[in-house]
Amino acid sequence: METLSNLAFGLGVALSWQNILYCFIGCFLGTLVGVLPGIGPVATVAMLLPFTFGLGPAPALIMLAGIYYGAQYGGSTTAILVNIPGESSSVVTTLDGHQMARRGRAGPALGIAAIGSFVAGCIATLLIAYFAPPLAEIALKFSPAEYFSLMVFGLIAAVVLARGSLVKAIAMVCFGILLGLIGTDVNSGVIRFAFGQAELADGVGFVALAMAFFGITDVVLNLEHKEAQQVFTSRIGSVLPTLADLRKCFWSIVRGTALGSLLGVLPGGGALLASFAAYMAEKKIAKPPRAFGEGDIRGVAAPESANNAGAQTSFIPMLTLGIPSNPTMALMIGALMIQGIAPGPQVMTERPELFWGLIASMWVGNLMLLVLNLPLVGVWIKLLAVPYRLLFPAIFVFCCIGAYAVDNKVFDVYALAALSALGYVLLKLDCEPAPMVLGFILGPMMEENLRRAMMISFGDPTVLITRPISAGFLLAALALLIAIALPALRAKREEAMQE
Amino acid sequence: MRVRSPRDFWAGLIFVAIGGGFVLLAQEYRLGDMHRMGPALFPTLVGALLAALGALIALRAFAVDGPPVPRFEARPILVSLLAIVLFAIALQWVGLVAAVAVVVLIGANATRDARLLDVLALAAVMVVFSVAVFVWLLGLPLPLWPTS
Repeated sequence: METLSNLAFGLGVALSWQNILYCFIGCFLGTLVGVLPGIGPVATVAMLLPFTFGLGPAPALIMLAGIYYGAQYGGSTTAILVNIPGESSSVVTTLDGHQMARRGRAGPALGIAAIGSFVAGCIATLLIAYFAPPLAEIALKFSPAEYFSLMVFGLIAAVVLARGSLVKAIAMVCFGILLGLIGTDVNSGVIRFAFGQAELADGVGFVALAMAFFGITDVVLNLEHKEAQQVFTSRIGSVLPTLADLRKCFWSIVRGTALGSLLGVLPGGGALLASFAAYMAEKKIAKPPRAFGEGDIRGVAAPESANNAGAQTSFIPMLTLGIPSNPTMALMIGALMIQGIAPGPQVMTERPELFWGLIASMWVGNLMLLVLNLPLVGVWIKLLAVPYRLLFPAIFVFCCIGAYAVDNKVFDVYALAALSALGYVLLKLDCEPAPMVLGFILGPMMEENLRRAMMISFGDPTVLITRPISAGFLLAALALLIAIALPALRAKREEAMQE
Repeated sequence: MRVRSPRDFWAGLIFVAIGGGFVLLAQEYRLGDMHRMGPALFPTLVGALLAALGALIALRAFAVDGPPVPRFEARPILVSLLAIVLFAIALQWVGLVAAVAVVVLIGANATRDARLLDVLALAAVMVVFSVAVFVWLLGLPLPLWPTS
């Protein structure tokens, strides 16, 4: 019952007119930007981050969460209508969703995506409310050694589930950690790797980094590959699915939600893996299976429910452990830090209004998305007609202003340019930016925890493997690495990533 | 010996350079010991790991076939970077209004499709939007006009 009273307390926070407004603005802006093709949720959250700078921590986080699931939903709209996923987690939605649009059933496809997302969002919110507090309790008992090992595990798990070469991904994590170490060392006060630049004393700007790697370089790559788009805007029809559709989708939504909630908690999982796995499972389980890939409504319902559930449950490790499971959560942690809040299990006890307010606002936000999206589909479709050549200069403007506004430093705009160049080269060499961003956020925390662990153990590194929980995390990380290195599993993983 | 996977080869070399660079730079600081880790210790460890992984990636490029390095198109990346740098310069010296105008006017040319009238209109819209939303509505302390 304590959970319910906590949720009620959270609802009290989330339902203050001010927070409702920010939640609404977040959902609206998130969907608005998320609909635009080629701008994923990470870029959306990064770009819209400056809008939250003037707010307090709770409204800022509520708005960012709204932006996140708004962007998530907007991406599916694009996937269905344009056959270009606005984000990686909508890739599978294009398969059946776009086929439905081609057959003149774009309306129900959009409708079921919204309904599935809403149901999944409601359930995931409850899951967070029930599972986050006990997890935070456990995490509060962790010593620095456990924390360090947990971070190692988190990073390895995130890398294993990422696309592309494993060694390269681990290398990118290391690079991220090193970039994160630039600036003042909290322990000794020494300014490291700053090349005499006073501006680097505070470190490399996280917002500039995220915008460079997910905003600017994405724009540049999009400009290099111009693809013809075909937008199906002529016949949307009613967005309400028929009763038969709903009956057909009910179990798909339930299965998608269950799978998505589970996978969302895993590091590196989140929405992408959730939607993919849900689609695959649905294809195997659903009867009759024949119509998948040709516009089966269940092929939209399951992954859309799963990606929304996964997007929400990925908040669990972020809120309870202070560990991001994907780049979007890394941005959330960055936002917390900008607000002067140290992420970690203590947030729940020290800032209950933030913790429970955010959770309750997720439910409010999901309701808003449903109310907002079904009637406004027509507006979003018009947005799809905006040509990219008018869109991308606006992205530049947001990124530049955002990078500057974090600390009001022109230096960060130069950093944005330098990091964009770096990101461009790395992307050309097939190095994924996501592991790097996670390393960047976790790097300083890892150093700090390792340092404390060594301090306590009088410099004995075996403490990492003699404490059972810590050893467990390291073993799990090792097991993952070995599993992925085995040829049989590797082939399977590559096959999975290709689809 | 022939490089069979140029992408990996170059990526590996870059990692070796970065990792090695961090290790070298870190030697300026105190290393300490495991009990009292100095500021140089952790970066040295991670930098060495990165360099080792880079070497592994680069060496593997001799053994395994991989895709070539994709073509670099000069225009999109260079114009984009130029636009951002000009934004920074303009913001510092002549304020937000000019900076937003500059980043749109220059940045829009990252593609060959840019049309003059569209770009001018877009610049005007973005200037008004940025000033209205970021400065007036959100109250971010951005200088609007040339200071002093």
